[in-house]
Amino acid sequence: MKKILIVEDDSFLQGLAATKLGHEGYEVKTASNGDEAIKIISEAPLDMILLDLVLPGTDGYAVLEKVRANPAMANTPIIVFSNLAEDKDIKRAQEYGIKEFLIKSNFTLDELVSKIKALIG
Amino acid sequence: MPEDIEKLKAENEKLQKLSDFKSDVISISAHELRTSLSALKWILKMFIDGDIGAISVEQKTFIKKAFESNERMIGLVNEMLSVNHADDISLKYTPENVDVVELVESVLFDFVGESFKKNIQVIFLKGEQKLPKAFVDPYKARVVLQNLVDNAIKYSNFGSKIFVSLSIKENAGKKEIEIAVKDNGIGIPAADQVKIFEKFFRAENAKQKNEVGSGLGLTTARNIVTRWEGKIWFESKEGGGSNFYFTLPVKN
Repeated sequence: MKKILIVEDDSFLQGLAATKLGHEGYEVKTASNGDEAIKIISEAPLDMILLDLVLPGTDGYAVLEKVRANPAMANTPIIVFSNLAEDKDIKRAQEYGIKEFLIKSNFTLDELVSKIKALIG
Repeated sequence: MPEDIEKLKAENEKLQKLSDFKSDVISISAHELRTSLSALKWILKMFIDGDIGAISVEQKTFIKKAFESNERMIGLVNEMLSVNHADDISLKYTPENVDVVELVESVLFDFVGESFKKNIQVIFLKGEQKLPKAFVDPYKARVVLQNLVDNAIKYSNFGSKIFVSLSIKENAGKKEIEIAVKDNGIGIPAADQVKIFEKFFRAENAKQKNEVGSGLGLTTARNIVTRWEGKIWFESKEGGGSNFYFTLPVKN
């Protein structure tokens, strides 16, 4: 079973995404802030990370930094989803080799699932 | 004289600060709105897809309506941000062939409640001829028309009439559709006409009308119409109503 980590501080959105991915047969782990995400990442390798950028305390960029610094996860596919959508935010996230930058209000979870399937099966 | 210049400079700085402040407020509220609207979008789609259990056909029809209504709200929030940040990528522009009669009817349907409150009759003159489809992003075209109709209702008097009409024009050998929104409302004072499309600008008589306005509607409308290389213009006289026009391209 493929393991996906969802990093999202809005508990409602996190719950919806976890439910949808669970239905699709993925093993879902969740984190509500950057520190929790970093802890989960250090425990065991993951197949994919879905990451929000604006998080309380340690933000999404710091999480990206940690993920890429971990040799076991240097190539783990990452999809960033955020409500920030300015050029500077996207460029900054792309420096970490993310696969997609999605704006939360512009996609639905079934579209997210197709993107995940295309990336990790 | 130097004092006058200093005064003007100070005044200018004050206005710039105010404009920056308004931009910040819009950015922050738009991002907050996006979070709530995303939650609605995600969950409504999960209902439609049956992820949260089966629903009846009737329930599905209503939930689809709610989803579409939420999509329009997302469109408006994205437009609000577009006025502030020209580089926001949420402003994808995806043109397709759009039936303009259907578009106008569905926009006017959304305003039935508003016009009813002021006993305003909104009359749609479709014209006799069959129009070609417009090649535009339907969500964006909606926003333009919504803004114009919204203004027409806001600035019309109780019991008056608003006319929305369609016609086909030719411009440099290319066909285009012209939409006109005409009201008999308060009109735009001559002195304010040059500024009417400017960000945050509201005409003096509009401010006194006790109607809520952001001063962004026409700026947004102009930005969108410019996107498809169309034109937007008006004829207006203070106290004598306003006629607003814009054009939509037709794919040859």
